Amino acid sequence: MANSENKQVINAGIVGWGAYIPMYRLPTREIARVWGWPEHQYKALNVSHKAVDGPDEDSTTMGYEAAYNALLRSGIDPKMIGAVFFGSESKVYAVKPSATLIAEMIGATPDTMASDLEFACRAGSEGLKASLGLVSSGMVKYALAIGSDTSQAEPGDVLEFTASSGAAAFIVGPRSESAAIVEDTYTYVTDTPDFWRRAEKPYPRHGEGFTGEPAYFYHIMGAVKGLFEKTGLKPDDFDYAIFHQPNGKFPLKVAQRLRFPKEKVLPGLVTPYIGNTYNASALLGLARVLDQAKPGQRILLAPFGSGAGSDAYSIVVTDLVEERQDKAPKVDDYLARSYEIDYALYAKFRRIYVMLPRG
Amino acid sequence: MVLPVWWRKRIPRYRFVGALCKDCGRIHYPPRNACPYCGSRNLELVPLPRRGVLESYSIVYSVPGDNRLNAPLPIGLVRLENGVRVVAELTDVVPEKLEKGIEVEAVIRRIGEDGETGTILYGVKFRPALGRK
Amino acid sequence: MAYVTSVGLVRVDRNYYKSPRDLAFEAASKAIEDVKLDTIDYVIVTSSLTYLQASQFDLAAYIARELGVNVRSAFTVEAGENSGLAGVEVALNLIRSHAAERILLVGVDKLTEYISNRTYKMIQAIYDTESDAVYNVGHAGPMALLMRLYMDRYGVDRETLAHWPVMMHTHGKENPYAMLRFKVTPDKVVNAMPIAEPITLLDAYPLGDGAAAVLLSSEDQGGDHLAKLSEVYSSIGFQSIALRDDPLSFEAVGQIAREAGLNPEDIDVAEIHDSFTITGILLLEELGFAPRGKAAEMVAEGAFTKGGSGPLVNASGGLKARGHPKGATGVYMLAEVAMQLAGTFPGIRADSPRKGIAVGVNAHGSSARLAFLEAL
Ligand SMILES: [Zn+2]
Repeated sequence: MANSENKQVINAGIVGWGAYIPMYRLPTREIARVWGWPEHQYKALNVSHKAVDGPDEDSTTMGYEAAYNALLRSGIDPKMIGAVFFGSESKVYAVKPSATLIAEMIGATPDTMASDLEFACRAGSEGLKASLGLVSSGMVKYALAIGSDTSQAEPGDVLEFTASSGAAAFIVGPRSESAAIVEDTYTYVTDTPDFWRRAEKPYPRHGEGFTGEPAYFYHIMGAVKGLFEKTGLKPDDFDYAIFHQPNGKFPLKVAQRLRFPKEKVLPGLVTPYIGNTYNASALLGLARVLDQAKPGQRILLAPFGSGAGSDAYSIVVTDLVEERQDKAPKVDDYLARSYEIDYALYAKFRRIYVMLPRG
Repeated sequence: MVLPVWWRKRIPRYRFVGALCKDCGRIHYPPRNACPYCGSRNLELVPLPRRGVLESYSIVYSVPGDNRLNAPLPIGLVRLENGVRVVAELTDVVPEKLEKGIEVEAVIRRIGEDGETGTILYGVKFRPALGRK
Repeated sequence: MAYVTSVGLVRVDRNYYKSPRDLAFEAASKAIEDVKLDTIDYVIVTSSLTYLQASQFDLAAYIARELGVNVRSAFTVEAGENSGLAGVEVALNLIRSHAAERILLVGVDKLTEYISNRTYKMIQAIYDTESDAVYNVGHAGPMALLMRLYMDRYGVDRETLAHWPVMMHTHGKENPYAMLRFKVTPDKVVNAMPIAEPITLLDAYPLGDGAAAVLLSSEDQGGDHLAKLSEVYSSIGFQSIALRDDPLSFEAVGQIAREAGLNPEDIDVAEIHDSFTITGILLLEELGFAPRGKAAEMVAEGAFTKGGSGPLVNASGGLKARGHPKGATGVYMLAEVAMQLAGTFPGIRADSPRKGIAVGVNAHGSSARLAFLEAL
């Protein structure tokens, strides 16, 4: 495989990590009840509930809380953050960065880079990789990468079963301060129209089955195999494997193809409980694994975004992980904080009802 | 256009910062031009503790403006860990579980939207505290 | 001091047929119809919502011009819910300083020009729009926080507190200028629609429109007068209940009560600000009419109604039943106390009262005023 990525030591790692999942849960059976799906339709997805953002939440507020948690774990002064990347496909403003909002909220402004990234579900991961590059090169001391989404799905579309809300954030900093260092990465992208949303359209469209083989599986396999080739690592070298999780089924399937046992996938698999949080999907899996990982363990992380591409990371946990695990709420704390709602309330929270403008 | 009205006060509302009076030692929120207690202008911005106790609450049904989405609207009187009190909206509240004395924590949520410009206003609200400190 | 020479009231109501200017004209005309006047030195209009509801600036000049009387000067005074008594304070001081012989004070406000949630948004601006009212606390929210605090601290139950609106409706039923002229029971109050728990619709003032006018004259003006306006005491309070050491203390009211050397035994009749049940109860206690935590019980025992052990309080029905057209309310209060002292109040009357007070606040007590009146 021709390799555009240089083999070099990445002098950076994850100094702090943080998660956020909103409190409300919509059972997938409730969606099936409203839209007349047979239960096979959602049971096959292996997703029991999806997390729904409350009426006063959005990708900014969720991204902020994840970033705040990451800051708590890192213990750093937010003024030292030199770059903020916000990966989302549900930005509150089509034009106007969310990254500046969050940078201002956490106190990283004004001397910092800040920008929003878009690559379907993979923008947050690209932000993470860019952060590693900036820190490793010495251009900035710390960088903040956020993946946050209040994913849209057209009512009645199969996507509605899984499109959910959540956020994850990582403070990237010097290797010596890291709770987990990134050994190497490998990125694999092509032009693949599996899922898209045209400008001005409220909901994304997708190619149904086309989102599977030529998109999800092809790109994740490409990225992970590329990483293996580049590093000489193999599945047995990893303690955890975390893949993008659009549903509860695909990550287990891709793991099987790459010869990872189920046990290495389950700790980082959160979609069955909360649905697909898009830009936070695999990153929330990483946050949950870091919440429980032991020093010396190796993690494979492979986010994916439609359009399409995947990043594969090899991450090694350091001795610093344990002292940071309890410094902020864990993914499991947010999973435990749940309140079930029905479709009617979901529709209200998500502003699905057609309401005439007032005035 | 209310855009600059909100914008100029964003820092204390985003970062939950109060003002410490260097003359009488008392802290208030949000920061004002003079200490409400002694009138001193010798003030210093200080971060506030994010946790507190819910001293009183109400569920507001007579919601002002276009706020049906958020109705009914829980509000509270919160006493922070350092004794400073704040009146604020509550969020992530299950009405039947709302009671005096519960521990709450500051979070950032949407406070509103400016109807004319569509800009979003963010600020501190309080929610029942997550289990962990 | 000054004299209250005459008054003119409009019944508080949903006056859909009349504009703020129509209402002000009606009240002002009534106040001056029987008085021989060459000149009015000042027309002082007190209003807090007119700009928002009727988009009118310099309201006083427009109202004054329509009266067809020779008026030297006109201006508007705004102090939120406390505008009326603020106008009284200004007028008294102008007369005392010999800047004016005759002042026509006109309070006017409408609350029904817009749909209710729009009005709630307007009137929540009585609270600090840089702190509490940054949020959608509504017009009742902060007071609801105080009501729950009060109930818990003193162990006063919801039912006992309901006796305040019960008394207000009993009083208001006899007042031809009251908006709500029907009786209610404690049970009805408790089970009424919640507007900001634990405040129900029957704990709250109704949204209504009104205007009240009072002609004030200097000592040198001969003729008949209704009562003597001896003094207005005024103070400002904290911007938020959150800033108080004790959120339940209306420090500005306590301050003016002390300044006035108020002795409850000396007061025969009082009109006090009861935007909500809890406001009325806390004011009774802050004024020394009842010990802390005991006002509701005393109200239930009939202490503040005719024949009770205390002064006759809110014979008008108060903000609760007479109504609360914001900037006009303080002028209603002044007129009602003056009529009580003159023996001309057209509702429940105190027995030959000598001294009366009108006490107003804005919101939770951002400002407070107490007007002291004496019988002639
Ligand atoms: Zn001070």
